[in-house]
Amino acid sequence: MDKTTHSYIPTLVDQMQTGAIGRRDFLRKATLLGLSAAAAYGLSGLPAPATAAEPAALPKGGNLRIGMRCMEIKDPHLVDFAEKSNLIRQVCEYLTFTDAENITHPSLLEKWEVSDDLKTWTLHLRRDISWHSGRPLTADDVVWNLRRVCDPAIGSSMLGLFTGYLVEDYDTGEKNADQSPRMASRLWSENAIEKVDDYTVRLNCAAPQIAVPEHLYHYPMFIADPADGGVFGPGANGTGPFEMVEYTVGKGAKYKARADYWGEGPYLDTFEFVDLGDNPGASIAAMASRQVDGLSEADAVQINSMRNFPHVAVYEVQTTQTVVARMHPEIEQFKDKRVRQAMRLAVDRDKIIQTALLGAGTPAEDHHVAPTHPEYAALPKYGRDVEKARQLLAEAGYPDGFDFDMVTRPDPIWELNTAQVLAEQFKDIGVRINIKALPSAQYWEVWKTTPFSLTAWGHRSLAIMTLSLAYRSNAAWNESNYANPELDKLLTEAEGILDPKERSKVMAKIEAIMQDDGPIVQPFWRIFSTVMDKKVQGFELHPSQYLFAHQYAVSA
Amino acid sequence: MAKFLLKRLVMMVVTMLCASFLVFAVCEFTPGSVARKSLGPYATQQQVDLLSEKLKANDPLVVRYGRWLGVLVGAIPDPLQDPDTGLNFSDPRGAQYFGNFGYSTLNKLPVNDVIWDRLGNTAILAGLAFLFIVPLSILFGILSGLKEGGKLDRVLSVICITFTSIPEFASSVFLVTLFVILWPILPGTSPLNSDGGWPIGYQLILPVAVLVIYDFGYVARMIRVSMIGVMERPYIRTAILKGMSTRQVVLRHALRNAMIAPFTVLLLQINFLISGVVVTELVFAYPGFGRLILDASLFGDIATLEAATMITVAIAVTTQLLGDLGYMLLDPRIRVK
Repeated sequence: MDKTTHSYIPTLVDQMQTGAIGRRDFLRKATLLGLSAAAAYGLSGLPAPATAAEPAALPKGGNLRIGMRCMEIKDPHLVDFAEKSNLIRQVCEYLTFTDAENITHPSLLEKWEVSDDLKTWTLHLRRDISWHSGRPLTADDVVWNLRRVCDPAIGSSMLGLFTGYLVEDYDTGEKNADQSPRMASRLWSENAIEKVDDYTVRLNCAAPQIAVPEHLYHYPMFIADPADGGVFGPGANGTGPFEMVEYTVGKGAKYKARADYWGEGPYLDTFEFVDLGDNPGASIAAMASRQVDGLSEADAVQINSMRNFPHVAVYEVQTTQTVVARMHPEIEQFKDKRVRQAMRLAVDRDKIIQTALLGAGTPAEDHHVAPTHPEYAALPKYGRDVEKARQLLAEAGYPDGFDFDMVTRPDPIWELNTAQVLAEQFKDIGVRINIKALPSAQYWEVWKTTPFSLTAWGHRSLAIMTLSLAYRSNAAWNESNYANPELDKLLTEAEGILDPKERSKVMAKIEAIMQDDGPIVQPFWRIFSTVMDKKVQGFELHPSQYLFAHQYAVSA
Repeated sequence: MAKFLLKRLVMMVVTMLCASFLVFAVCEFTPGSVARKSLGPYATQQQVDLLSEKLKANDPLVVRYGRWLGVLVGAIPDPLQDPDTGLNFSDPRGAQYFGNFGYSTLNKLPVNDVIWDRLGNTAILAGLAFLFIVPLSILFGILSGLKEGGKLDRVLSVICITFTSIPEFASSVFLVTLFVILWPILPGTSPLNSDGGWPIGYQLILPVAVLVIYDFGYVARMIRVSMIGVMERPYIRTAILKGMSTRQVVLRHALRNAMIAPFTVLLLQINFLISGVVVTELVFAYPGFGRLILDASLFGDIATLEAATMITVAIAVTTQLLGDLGYMLLDPRIRVK
């Protein structure tokens, strides 16, 4: 191990050898601290995934067509859904890459180093990368991109992730219309994002943050060419394997392979996305008549009807995608934590998974930490208990239950189905739920303000990312208006703890608070699925729903 | 005649203004601000407020409607294209020109860049459907109207009523199952590019068939009723008594009079076909006008909705005008007035 290796790595190795942490866990932690995946696999004794040998065997050439919604993609830093990011991902790339095993690798970076206090992150860029235009990728490009997403006027959701360690909120001194102080955000220090030399960028953080490499892989954190000024479209410059040659909103996108790509692939000559609209039947019909070679996503119902097609292969992956039914604790009915507990006890998770997901899910435990998350701590399980729930409701002053509206969206359909099954089950404890479905675009307008709603949460590789975003007091995406100083304290503690054993202990406390006092009912973790034509090779379904066309090939 | 046309033109403009104001007002009651829609669900409230301010989205409804109208007629430049907004919106036609429908918040493109292609696609679909609907419905209508209650009438009526009562989504699923999955001779979707190996002509067959199946029976029933009415008139009886052949009676005496009422109904089908093909376009992933309107209304994309409203109202008024002119040609009594 050379000097650049983080001082904590030997401790991790010790812990793995004494059995304190698992080998997978070791891989995750060690790579987070900047150890290369190859070295980490070597130390762990686990066989490294055989990605290096396989690619040579993949056939070259051909075209691949994948069915996916193609919405606007004006600004790479404003991307907010996996589908939109897939359109850009073939052209622009990220600094890091989190694989299907939840392990984060360097991508545009050669490696990164982090200080012992987790506050100084040094990012070393690869030196062999050039833009389509031929210019080499430099630290200036990276600094421009990082600074741009931190500008509140741009509107990138990266701002929410970076707040707390790169970005701070401050009082502008002006007043809003309601006389509350007007807040704004800015980099916490002029030096927060620092160019060290042409190939090195340093992040000087205000607080310790373990999840920096994961954050750098979040949808909008594309490294785009500053010369494009944050505008993306056909012909946009990028470091990625493809060039976009054509794009029509609602219709599709076409790409041409780049010959001098620095990484693996691309194997295809050309690649396409085809917009098949919102009707699930259209995707099935397009697969049936081979108008597309695969889909970006297929739900359980679609999968069932396509299983019989002889040319179709089904892919499934366990994700940390979920839905939470969250209650605003300041609302009369939900004020008493016994009501929130009763809501959790009213739920029969297996039944919801069977009915709403046709079995494509695993039960969750109301704390938004998945068993596949590295920091997961197992707590005692509890099942449905209608008697106890009724008793808790009675104690809280609702012996006859109450009526309430639940806001949700009609698509994807499994979300509405989940809401309906939940409403049925809440009925058994006397809580009568009236479901109000809003179109998605309108739902996202009110998702943080309605007192009771059902929200889908995307896949994230670390639980602290979601917890800090969604349950910390005043966090940008704290849709449940939850404020618990103890939880905040524990979260900050967890973000700065390296020792996996200690960290898991803190997570156990956090999970227990969520189960006892927390604002959510969380029925399941979703299994994500899709289909590809059997002629498609090199395809691996990623839990984040990201697609990487440069890894795919088609056999003739 | 000039006075008549001018009157119609004024009426059209008034209707369009009313309709566009209604759309504006209705959008006001659906949740969602332009700024939030431009930035997406994950932007912080602070960012949304910042953009709202730049877009002057908090102005009263009437002020914003006035601004939209001003942009449309080219009196003022589109505020969304102001570089200050940081939205990077630019229209190759410039910021100020007549017919500037503004910027689509859903597509992040000038509405003019999106809407006309889509309208063209739907026009192709609707035009082809119309080509089949007109002769089929006239043929079915006349044949069944000739002898009310006869065997032929009953058979054709059953066909017409059955087809019309099957909703489009049901008939399209049925056709897809039949011709795409069980007997794969047609493509299942119509994205209107031939890259999937299916020529565009093939892609049009199923959506056109669905529209024809749904619509022709209804028009045929209208023609049938009109035909029955005409066949009971004294002059037809006289013609038959004079010994003319059925063929002569139908073609020379009945048809023209029987077509007067259905003519309007047929023209109304153009409106239906342009703005009512949503289901068919959705099922076959057809990149048309209907799907655009659906997406825009679900998203609350006011600029696109306004443009679509203007276009559909214009088409409706124009077909109505054509209907009236046709009426004059068919019925001399109207011309006298």
